[in-house]
Amino acid sequence: MQKQEMPEACETCALNNQSRLKKLGVNVENTDFVIALAGNPNTGKSTVFNALTGLRQHTGNWAGKTVTRAEGAFQYNDKRFKLIDLPGTYSLLSTSEDEEVARNFILFGRPDVTVIVADASRLERNLNLILQVLEITDKAVLCLNLMDEAKRHGIEIDDRTLAKDLGIPVVPTSARSQKGTAELIKVIYQVASNEIKCKPHRIQNLKKDAKEAINNLTARINQLYPGLPNSRWVAMRLLDGDQRVLDGLKDGSLLS
Amino acid sequence: MIPNPVTALLIFAGLTLITLTIIWIMKTDTWKLKFRSKDILKTKIEDILKQLYHVEYGGKRATLNAMAGALKIEYSKLVPVIEYMAGSELINVKENAIILTEEGRDYALKIIRIHRLWEKYLSEKTGIHKSEWHQRAEKMEHTLTNEEAELLYRQLGSPRFDPHGDPIPTKTGDIIQTHNQPLCSLKVGDSAKIMHIEDEPAVIYKQLIKEKLHIGQYLKVIKSSENNVTFISEGNQHKLSHIVASNIGVRTLSEEEVFEKEKVRLSALDKGEKAIVVGISKECRGANRRRLMDFGFINGAEIVTEMKSPSGEPKAYLIKNTLIALRDDQADLILIEKVA
Amino acid sequence: MEEDKKFDQLFEYASNLRWKVGDDFHDQLTEGIYSDASSITKRVVHDDQSHKTYHFDRMLDKILTSKKYGFLIMGLVLAIVLWITIEGANVPSGLLDSLLLGTIYPALKNLSLSLGIPWWLDGFLLDGVYMAVAWVIAVMLPPMAIFFPMFTLLEDFGYLPRVAFNLDGLFKRAGAHGKQALTMSMGWGCNAAGVVATRIIDSPRERLIAIITNNFSLCNGRWPTQILIATIFIGAVVPESFSRITSMVAVISIAFLGIFFTFFTSWLLSRTMLKGEVSTFSLELPPYRPPKFWKTLYTSLIDRTIIVLWRAIVFAAPAGAVIWLISNIDIGSLSIASHTINFLDDFGILIGLNGVILLAYVVAIPANEIVIPTILMLTVSHFGVAGFGSGDGVMFELDSYMDTSRVLEAGGWTLLTAINLMLFSLLHNPCSTTIYTIYQETKSWKWTSVASILPIIFGLIVCFLVAQVWRLI
Repeated sequence: MQKQEMPEACETCALNNQSRLKKLGVNVENTDFVIALAGNPNTGKSTVFNALTGLRQHTGNWAGKTVTRAEGAFQYNDKRFKLIDLPGTYSLLSTSEDEEVARNFILFGRPDVTVIVADASRLERNLNLILQVLEITDKAVLCLNLMDEAKRHGIEIDDRTLAKDLGIPVVPTSARSQKGTAELIKVIYQVASNEIKCKPHRIQNLKKDAKEAINNLTARINQLYPGLPNSRWVAMRLLDGDQRVLDGLKDGSLLS
Repeated sequence: MIPNPVTALLIFAGLTLITLTIIWIMKTDTWKLKFRSKDILKTKIEDILKQLYHVEYGGKRATLNAMAGALKIEYSKLVPVIEYMAGSELINVKENAIILTEEGRDYALKIIRIHRLWEKYLSEKTGIHKSEWHQRAEKMEHTLTNEEAELLYRQLGSPRFDPHGDPIPTKTGDIIQTHNQPLCSLKVGDSAKIMHIEDEPAVIYKQLIKEKLHIGQYLKVIKSSENNVTFISEGNQHKLSHIVASNIGVRTLSEEEVFEKEKVRLSALDKGEKAIVVGISKECRGANRRRLMDFGFINGAEIVTEMKSPSGEPKAYLIKNTLIALRDDQADLILIEKVA
Repeated sequence: MEEDKKFDQLFEYASNLRWKVGDDFHDQLTEGIYSDASSITKRVVHDDQSHKTYHFDRMLDKILTSKKYGFLIMGLVLAIVLWITIEGANVPSGLLDSLLLGTIYPALKNLSLSLGIPWWLDGFLLDGVYMAVAWVIAVMLPPMAIFFPMFTLLEDFGYLPRVAFNLDGLFKRAGAHGKQALTMSMGWGCNAAGVVATRIIDSPRERLIAIITNNFSLCNGRWPTQILIATIFIGAVVPESFSRITSMVAVISIAFLGIFFTFFTSWLLSRTMLKGEVSTFSLELPPYRPPKFWKTLYTSLIDRTIIVLWRAIVFAAPAGAVIWLISNIDIGSLSIASHTINFLDDFGILIGLNGVILLAYVVAIPANEIVIPTILMLTVSHFGVAGFGSGDGVMFELDSYMDTSRVLEAGGWTLLTAINLMLFSLLHNPCSTTIYTIYQETKSWKWTSVASILPIIFGLIVCFLVAQVWRLI
């Protein structure tokens, strides 16, 4: 918890990160890094988006508010970041339309960093999506949002252990009151510029048969399509009978 | 200038009647079929092949009379079709018995494959009620080509069983043999798992839908008389006549499987009661099933009924720290064990 | 070719593995993820369940969704929101009206006179286009600027999902989704916004139902019409002390009739054109959150009000032009408008309306706000009522109810005409902004036409039946 207090205190001082931050609104030209913003519905994802870009997308207390993909930009340490707000989804496996949009972007759009926004008071359920994203991409940051609300509900989270377990940086925030966003930007920058290396968690608790099947299929995919970056994830999707990933393999859009 | 209101109303009623009649005529199939006589022969042949396959699969012999009865075709109209089919080597007719040739069996399996794939499609991807699947698949089986069927098969993630529990033949005509026995053959005290619910005839299937029985349900027979069989399952007691019960295929439980009386449906969890989720029924499919799993309706999850809507449905359940509202027909498909 | 072979090989291999693993791989995977999640959570999260806020949230939920108070509170909240909207919009509407029509309009007129702009150009631009746009802004902006922020505050607080929860049982019986309750109430502000809001419904069939039936929510553009006509004609039937309350009841009955038609049409569609069941029903009830007042005000103004207003203006401008043109271009001795009115009059009277009203509804498709001014203008110019209005093709409204009533009676209006106008105002095609939005959302001409034509069929039938029964009695 102490770690969280630090950036808050610094936010009021003159030399904080914000002074190196320039919100660029919808001006998304010539960016150095592309950042995707994923997360469950109603976790304050749009609020985080607004806090970073200075835009004012409407945010409602209501699942499934953001349906279209919003884009914005900000500048930090002379690097320009393009931020894509993906539709809020509970999962990337259920193949509904908005999940498709989110998944395709993480998979085919190859963002430099994927920021996962999670509701701190519902961490367990949010982990469903977090762990799925970590199966697809190596470079991710967890933004543990709504910390104020979690505190109000008497929930405490050990974010260091969480970061260790997930293998990615974890930043506690309360985006509604701008708390922690400065730290978040810094960490995004560090991950994007490879200052921080991620070792993302991979799903472990699977039945023996399933594990074997995934391993065998991954090996076969690597053999047939060498250089495919997310072969383990593709294997899982094939075992799940996901036609669109199949199509992606067939028409080559997964490979490029 | 203004017409008499009575006259106006009468004219209006007349026009309404005419419109409704036109709509009704447009909907009935007989009207359409008259203009497609060529397709009728194909449809008839395919229906006969399918029926022959089912008879053969059931280990019986097909006769012309029985076929005419089963397919509701006049005997005199059936004979020329049968002759035509024998001519194109789809069937052999020997001593009044009709037997499928190798070619005919392949053709029949192709039709069955499309039928079952289409039912699978309707169950997974659409919100169409299960009482309509069969009718729709009956039409579709005559129109899809082999290539389209293969595409559908891939899109559905190469399924093995249709939503009623029947095996789907493969492209090459292989079909898994199932070893189900009818529910009415069970004795008192026997426990079993529902593997198959027959969707024909429609009258009996409708009764089964009303009983809210699903594939994958565990049951235990508690009473069996000359006419009826009574069993308990998922917290409910069902009493079915033998005719109805014979349309349910079951498999007796293996050694690792046990019938647990405590497993009930989530819909039975009253306001304020606590429970542990056991799982989601096989009957809950497609996007709906995946969404429920995403919400955390997973084996071992704690759940409490928090609120009931003033309009009766839905109920709100607290699961993984989140309030999720479900309708009763969804809650029927989630199995729980109550916690004191 | 080789690529295809490689792919087929992989597909076969994967299919075989699938058969081995069983077709519940998805279940196994999700269970696996959740079991990882729960072991991480156990290490990381310390949850003090006895905390007070939980009790507060639950207590609030118990009251807001209780059998006793659930519907009562919903009705109250709705009544308050609508009351504040209608009453609160009066003053700013009046101000805008006097600014745009009372000050700027004459100033522009003088300017064009001094510049020597020909009468037809001046009439076309100022009396036609400017007038319609000014009218739409004056009537539409204030109620929207009040309604949407209030709606957004309720949304941010977390009350709206509870409304959906309370009403879902009723929507289920009509074959629709509980979240339609939200889009329906959004429609009371503006149908176009209501149609956009249907995005929260994630199953396509139910979403279409919600889109098609949204027009049955009486929108801000139509409330003033209802109130005006009810006050003049229905309020006048009863003794004066009751007239206010009677006309209020009449307007509310129309709104409830709209709700009835929403359910009826949903039911009808889900049994005919849109057969099926809710394919994915999910309704999450989020925790209550204190809304941020000023931020909400700002974002809802930017997000909803301005966008909708802009669309309305874009559509109203050509409508104003058309209205001016048909009243000023003569064929023979009569204007196009008069020809059309004469043509439509018999049918109009058959269904208890008249030719003027039908024509007004045809030209006012772009915006319901200008229906009453158009009716007044057309009545005065068609029947030659002396002493009112400011010329052919110039829309106007009258300050006193008495004057309005005199103009309409000169146009042959009776109590039946008034009642049927109120019904027709509820049951007619959506405005062009909404139609455009429906197309944007559905990308289907078929459903856009159904959504546009169905209400008008209902409207004609209902008006016809009411007229005949009225004449019989």
